[in-house]
Amino acid sequence: MRRRTKWLVSVVFLLIGFMVAVQFQTTSYETQLRDTRDIWEVREELNRQQEAQQELLKKINAADQTIENYEKQSSKEQLETLKESMEVLEDKVGLSKKEGGGLEITIAPIFQEDLSVQSFPKVSPLLLSRFINELNTYGAQDISVGNERISMISPIRDVNGATYVNNRPVGSLPITIKVLTSDPQKLKDYMEASPTQDIFNMDNMEIQFELKEKLVLPKFDDPLYLEILEETGG
Amino acid sequence: MWLPILFLLIGVTLGILTDIRIPDAYTDYLSIAVLAAFDTLLGGIRAQLEKTFDDTVFLTGFFFNVSLAALLAFLGVQLGVDLYLAAVFAFGVRLFKNLAIIRRIVIDQKLLMKIRKK
Repeated sequence: MRRRTKWLVSVVFLLIGFMVAVQFQTTSYETQLRDTRDIWEVREELNRQQEAQQELLKKINAADQTIENYEKQSSKEQLETLKESMEVLEDKVGLSKKEGGGLEITIAPIFQEDLSVQSFPKVSPLLLSRFINELNTYGAQDISVGNERISMISPIRDVNGATYVNNRPVGSLPITIKVLTSDPQKLKDYMEASPTQDIFNMDNMEIQFELKEKLVLPKFDDPLYLEILEETGG
Repeated sequence: MWLPILFLLIGVTLGILTDIRIPDAYTDYLSIAVLAAFDTLLGGIRAQLEKTFDDTVFLTGFFFNVSLAALLAFLGVQLGVDLYLAAVFAFGVRLFKNLAIIRRIVIDQKLLMKIRKK
């Protein structure tokens, strides 16, 4: 190859390399989102992450404690620890009865006093799941609808026009929803101010809230089919 | 042989260090330009192996292909047709063809060497 040709080819190579680098940078840049948070948002995020970290540390501590118990104890005591942790887990999932202070919510029909034809109102699955989502958002810990404990895998479905929870019909109105929470008054205030109430009213239903010192929630008595659950990141 | 590779590395580092990013609307142009550049490159290697390399042809080919590809992408955007796909297709096919020819030439040379040794 002649000298001049060599240099020419080299310059072309330089250009190509530059183009490829820029292209690579552009495409890899697109994947990461632009950070447009201001300092307060960043601070809040930091705070949230720190709280999450604390939470995780606590959990790790508890798990470590359990492991330690296992290692230290004799086989009989180990069995007890196992039973204990099983109880804790069952309690968490909702496989056991639960008592506590909370909110009793009654969904009742409203009858209009004119003579127009009115069908008996019923709670649609959509409305019910929205209501339950809202309860969960505002700090409900355990919920039961009628006699059905809401667990993490409780289905709320429409079966031939009737609303089913845990594969059993909820029945006709009035329906009682029991909610256990650490701060019932706050939950009540939130729910009373929520727009979901208007939607219930539109469907000729009203919601009554009642604070209760002692509520008993039934246990979730279907088998847990966990095959449908999938692990998620984070 | 080492000079072009050295320059390629210099180009890549320069591109990464300068931190240049193309706006979203122009990424199509750049990607197709890169494709055209690769096509020219392989064409040049093939010509070198076939002993028909000419630096003028190589240089004009490079710039002409890159700008034609960008022009085609531009035209496609104006017309609302994804014309740049045509360029991607054409360059892709040529890329494979050139690669195949290069491979054949290299293999042939090696085979010839072996036969001669025998």
